[in-house]
Amino acid sequence: MREGLVGLEIEKRGDVVVASLTGELDIAGAARTGERITDAVPTSAVGLVVDLMELEFMDSSGIAMLFGLARSLGSRRQRLSVAAPPDGPVWRVLEIVEFERAAPVHGDVDAAVAEIG
Amino acid sequence: MRALPELFDLRVKARSLAYLFTAGAGLGLVTLAFPHDEAVKEPQLVLLAGIAVAIAGVVYLEAERIRAWQLHIVLGLGTLLLTFANYYVGQSSLYPLMYTWTALYAFYFFPLGVALGQVAFIALCYAVLLVIQDPASPIVRWLLAVGTPVVAGLLISRLLERTGVEAGTAEHRERALRQSEARTRLVLDSAPDAFITTDRDGIITTWNVAAERMFGWSAVEAIGKPMRGLIIPPEFRERHDQRRRALIEQEGAVATELFDMVLQRRDGNRFDGEATVSRVIVGDDVILSGFLRDLTERQRREEERDELLRAQAARAEAERVAEMMSGMGALVDAALARPGLDEILANLVAGVQQVLGADAATIFLADEEGEWLRIGASSQGTRPASVDPIPFGDGFAGRAALSREPMFAQRPDPADLRDPGLHKLEIDSLLAVPFLAKGAVIGVLEVCASPPRRFTADDLGMLRLAGERVALAISHARIYEREHQMAETLQRSLLPERLPDLPGLKVAASYRPAAAEAGVGGDWYDVIPIPGGGAGLVMGDVAGKGLAAASMVGRLRSALRAYALEGHDPAMVVQQLNRLVWTEAAESQMVTLLYVVVDPTEGVARWVNAGHPPPLLVGGNGGPEFLEGGTSVPLGVMPFPNYEEMSAAMAPGSALVLYTDGLVEVPGAHIDDGLSRLAEQVRDAPEEPKALCEYLLGTLVPERGAPDDVALLTLRNVPISDRFRVDFPNAPEALSSMRALLRRWLRHAGGGEQEVAEITTACGEAATNAIEHAGSGGGKPFEVSGRMHADEVDVSVRDFGTWRTPREGDQGRGLSLMRALMDTVEVTPTSEGTTVRLRRTLRGSWGNGGPD
Repeated sequence: MREGLVGLEIEKRGDVVVASLTGELDIAGAARTGERITDAVPTSAVGLVVDLMELEFMDSSGIAMLFGLARSLGSRRQRLSVAAPPDGPVWRVLEIVEFERAAPVHGDVDAAVAEIG
Repeated sequence: MRALPELFDLRVKARSLAYLFTAGAGLGLVTLAFPHDEAVKEPQLVLLAGIAVAIAGVVYLEAERIRAWQLHIVLGLGTLLLTFANYYVGQSSLYPLMYTWTALYAFYFFPLGVALGQVAFIALCYAVLLVIQDPASPIVRWLLAVGTPVVAGLLISRLLERTGVEAGTAEHRERALRQSEARTRLVLDSAPDAFITTDRDGIITTWNVAAERMFGWSAVEAIGKPMRGLIIPPEFRERHDQRRRALIEQEGAVATELFDMVLQRRDGNRFDGEATVSRVIVGDDVILSGFLRDLTERQRREEERDELLRAQAARAEAERVAEMMSGMGALVDAALARPGLDEILANLVAGVQQVLGADAATIFLADEEGEWLRIGASSQGTRPASVDPIPFGDGFAGRAALSREPMFAQRPDPADLRDPGLHKLEIDSLLAVPFLAKGAVIGVLEVCASPPRRFTADDLGMLRLAGERVALAISHARIYEREHQMAETLQRSLLPERLPDLPGLKVAASYRPAAAEAGVGGDWYDVIPIPGGGAGLVMGDVAGKGLAAASMVGRLRSALRAYALEGHDPAMVVQQLNRLVWTEAAESQMVTLLYVVVDPTEGVARWVNAGHPPPLLVGGNGGPEFLEGGTSVPLGVMPFPNYEEMSAAMAPGSALVLYTDGLVEVPGAHIDDGLSRLAEQVRDAPEEPKALCEYLLGTLVPERGAPDDVALLTLRNVPISDRFRVDFPNAPEALSSMRALLRRWLRHAGGGEQEVAEITTACGEAATNAIEHAGSGGGKPFEVSGRMHADEVDVSVRDFGTWRTPREGDQGRGLSLMRALMDTVEVTPTSEGTTVRLRRTLRGSWGNGGPD
């Protein structure tokens, strides 16, 4: 499923929902992609992993989306974890905005899932 | 029976006779083989048979040349041979039966008279035979008593028949004579001229029907009366008698004279007549015969004939004029088919001049207020602009316009001729008619004649007719011009007003309407910025012209933009368009479309071709190359065609040429020739897209326009330089294009992958701000420019909206990111907008380990 330049795949690993993003995440698709991910997480899920391993680009609107997800999951007592390639452009952006304060960031998806599960 | 012999020709008759002879001889010989009387003399019979066979042979062989009388003699000879055979056989045989064959043959093949003659001869021969064999037998006595009268009777009847024919001939001649006389009478009676004979004293002896008709006296009344008192007016009677006497006294058996005379009818009316009088002397008798003609009648007839000829000539002339008028109509129609009132007027002037045989013709056009005339067209080649406007009421044309009445003038004052081109001519007569449309004078048609041509009142009607035509043509032309302008406006609105500035690409387009087309063409092109960088190039051609085609173009254009901006693959975009055309377009509406997406970052062109001429790639590997792969059916011909996406490398510096078939179609030549011509011209063409368009149109399209509309779109993958300046549309979708441009530029400048990603992210944040500011900026595009100073990257993003101080939270993060990723960030808000300047020094491969 694509929203603008962003591709989104939802996968369930036990009680954890994994949302994998591809392409470029910017203001053109961020808000709508955030809504889709929120809709894909049932209240029964333990938490959500946002997989950014294959995302080529993310700007501040992507960060805003992630902060938004962290807030909405927190209110439902669900946990959020993010996976991104270390030292990549996405990782660098997450680092600059100190996203770690909102949710843990891992270097691979398995670690992120393990963090929640 | 009589007709029967005529059914056969002589050859058949001769051969049949030969068979008869052979059969008779054969039968005779066969009877000898059987036991027979001793009285039968065999050698004689064999000899007779031989003679018969010999005759048969001769007749058979000569059948082609034989004559009827010879056949008659041969048959008689056969009777003679039979008689001898009977004699030698003796009384006991049945030989006499053979006579029956002979008689049958004669009746069958010969005229009745000849056949009877043969039968008589048979009877004679047999009688002689019987007499010789047994003179005393009662049969002989019977025959002598009965047969001889029969023969004699036949002979007599034959003789009588001959006499009868001669008598009939005499009777026929008499009848023929009577018929001839009746015919003569009939001829005389049916003659249009009166025929009268008199004796030497002038007493009428013959008076035909025409004479009855001419003079009013019946034959019964006229015959026996003196002619002079009946038909000669009193004062001419003396002269008539003198002439008659002179004619009678002329020498020779026959004398003929021709007289003109005044004759008188029964009712006393007189008329001029002409008489051909002959005098014939037969023995002591003198016959005067005369044919009398009524000259007034002839004069009347001649007048009638002349009238008829005149009418015919007039009709022919009318038909000729009608033909010319319809020719002029065709001229008008032809003129209507192409734009330009001036051309139509020039054609009309020529047409009017020809139809009326005028030496000069001028059309003046009125202004909308109905106050001034100006020259529309002149047979003298006067340029409309060279003559000042002529007020209504001024000169002949002006007076005709003011009075709304036709003007006719002999030897006009040259001052009244407002077409200066006429001053060179010697004008003898002039006609001017105003022409009206919806009650208003819209112009004046003026025609002039030089000697020997002179206009008459008749020409005025014709000129009015021409004037009506001209008025119609002009109002049509004006409507047409208006509609054409509307159509052109519509078409222009369907083509992009200006092409977008595309990062790393340069595009140019041209549209050249066809030379002689009235309708709006169905050609269109478009350039769409593609999210993620690159350009979608569209070149399409909707079959047909006019508003239907134009509205189809409009819908396709919008739909294609929508599908392209949604980020669909080229093949999907084209499939969606096909569905649109298939389900919604009128039947048989066909659309060819070429959709090319050029990605300058990757250096790739991907295309889908729905029945359109192939794009031309210039500056790839080798020479110009048509991208001919993947061509499928046009849109709208199948519900689910297979549109396949093809791709080709497009290196920096290379160019693409998209076009409609108008560019490569040369009348009479194969399309391949046009393609070769295009490829040939491209080799020497300039690289710059705008110049390339102009060059191709200049070299491939005739000066006056092509037979079909031509749309041309060129794109160049611009080689990267150390600076750029690009406007982006104020839309989130523009961001990816901008990033693509920046990445390409930064990589070219030697930036490492991480540097490239970070600078791109920072600039993207600035651009996002620009888009968010644009709420009050009316959606104006924002401008991104970049420069390299040694190793320093210097990018400015300028918008024309209102700067908003970033709030803490989501939107403030953009500025934080910029500051974190760049060396310096300067924000300069002004009343017109805001400029964000971002600078960072490149360190080359620094950090060159992360993914792009």
